[in-house]
Amino acid sequence: MNSGNPYEAFTFSDFVECLSPSFVSVYFLIFVLLVVLLYYLIPKRFRWTVLLTGSALFYSLAGLEPLITVLLSSVLVYFSGIMIERTDKSRKHLRRVWLAAGVLSMLAVLIFCKCYSLFEWSFNFIIPLGISYYTFSSVGYLADIYWGKEAAEKNVLRLALFLLFFPKILQGPIAKHRELAPQLNEGHEFNWHGFCFGIQKALWGYFKKMVVADRLGTMTRTVFGNYQQYGGALLFLTMLAAAFQLYCDFSGCMDIAEGISQMLGIKLEKNFDHPFLSRSGAEFWQRWHMTLSGWFKDYLFLPVSRSKWVKNLSKKIGERFGAQARKNTMILISSFFVWVATGLWHGTGLPYLLWGLYWYVIISSSTLLADKYGRLTRALHINTENSGWRLFQMARTYLIFSFGRLITIPNDLEATGNILGRFFSDARPWELFDKTLYSLGLIDVEFYVMLTGIIIVWAGEVLRSRGSVRERIAGWNIPFRCAFYSLSVIVILVFGIYGGGHGNTTFLYMNF
Amino acid sequence: MEKLMELLTNCCPAVDFTADARLVTDKLIDSVDLVSIISDIEDAFDVNIDMEKIVPENFDSAEAMWELIQSLK
Repeated sequence: MNSGNPYEAFTFSDFVECLSPSFVSVYFLIFVLLVVLLYYLIPKRFRWTVLLTGSALFYSLAGLEPLITVLLSSVLVYFSGIMIERTDKSRKHLRRVWLAAGVLSMLAVLIFCKCYSLFEWSFNFIIPLGISYYTFSSVGYLADIYWGKEAAEKNVLRLALFLLFFPKILQGPIAKHRELAPQLNEGHEFNWHGFCFGIQKALWGYFKKMVVADRLGTMTRTVFGNYQQYGGALLFLTMLAAAFQLYCDFSGCMDIAEGISQMLGIKLEKNFDHPFLSRSGAEFWQRWHMTLSGWFKDYLFLPVSRSKWVKNLSKKIGERFGAQARKNTMILISSFFVWVATGLWHGTGLPYLLWGLYWYVIISSSTLLADKYGRLTRALHINTENSGWRLFQMARTYLIFSFGRLITIPNDLEATGNILGRFFSDARPWELFDKTLYSLGLIDVEFYVMLTGIIIVWAGEVLRSRGSVRERIAGWNIPFRCAFYSLSVIVILVFGIYGGGHGNTTFLYMNF
Repeated sequence: MEKLMELLTNCCPAVDFTADARLVTDKLIDSVDLVSIISDIEDAFDVNIDMEKIVPENFDSAEAMWELIQSLK
């Protein structure tokens, strides 16, 4: 790519090199506009082909190998689904064989990709982007056919579209076939209201990602990359910032994905529901990355808890210690599998396993000790509906999440231990006031832009939790609406971070 | 039905099972509650609930659960 002489011609190969399957680029916006335009221009019954072609083109920017991997996976899942459905229900073993063939092949590719970077190989392999997301969607699809919850897709190309649909292939949400496929297959009428709402949602996502998350990212990379240089107070503040960065990054991407889909008349499943308003860890995981939690509930927690060996083991424990012990055993065993899998889904190293176990202990203990906590709050005469108490619970949940994030950020447990140690051994609270904050990769003006952005995101999320902000904006007079949209675009264009010195290239959840 | 209502109230005292709400869809009961309810129903009514029956429609209300129990007997 041209890097030296600015007057050197920008060639076609430079242009191709610029392209990558990312939401944050001008090319992507042009691509979306073209897809939307073509989608509404051609007859309804062919509209799904525009989505399929667009999705395949978008994904091929990551390389031809990943695209071929996904297309081959689609064929495998297609045949496996058809064979499960065609095999008579009385031939349970054969149905299981077809299910296992599809599920294990998909999981084998996923596990290979997850472990690829851990070993040295004599060949190069480009890991397909979003492999976890389409693998989980495929496994859920096959399990649902096996359980008789849905019918197998009869058209392999339509199944490929379900797996490849470009707004959700990179970071989810993990879609359910029976909810998304009918929407993809149906040609939608152009709806001005939905189109505008889609643009609004995508703009909000770009604001969260480009104005807030990437600035927070600059700060967290600078501090955690050289944590030995900083005191505990600043490290603690950065730990809190890293949690908010992840939220703005991931939920921002989801807003963009949801917004683009809405422009096409398609509703993606919600992945976030104001997680930082959660009052407990368990509630947090019902509001954060909801489609992943839902997937683990449907396809791991429930099957494990319903398996013969867990039932028999809990029954034995129940006979000895009572009904509550039986239920607790069932829940503890199933949750263990869920949290180990959740940890390993996020990464293959020991820190991720530990992170999964960290959440397992927190959520299991809060479930098992719920009665005791209730008695304690009553004994202490705490009004649990009091706003102060609610605020305390929300702050506690935020802290629990932030500490958890600290286990995986450095991807080195020794570094995590050192950072935690510095919270107490070398606090240096003056670093929060002596302009050190302005030397973390952001000059003072940028730092205040980031702070303002955080306040706007926080206020926006609180307002959204109380009702649709978009509906309210839609009720404004046209001049105010136009001014608002224009201002939003200008703010993102002026204050957004586009790479270069800040190293903004991808979304954090894109590598799963 | 009375036996089922008693079982549900004991299992999740904070949930109003008589209210007109969708228990699973509206997240009034979570997966832990659901597993507890299923295992209590299996014990109390001597039925076996397979995975294919575990869908929100069968657990969204006390009436739906009652119909499921009747269909399994």
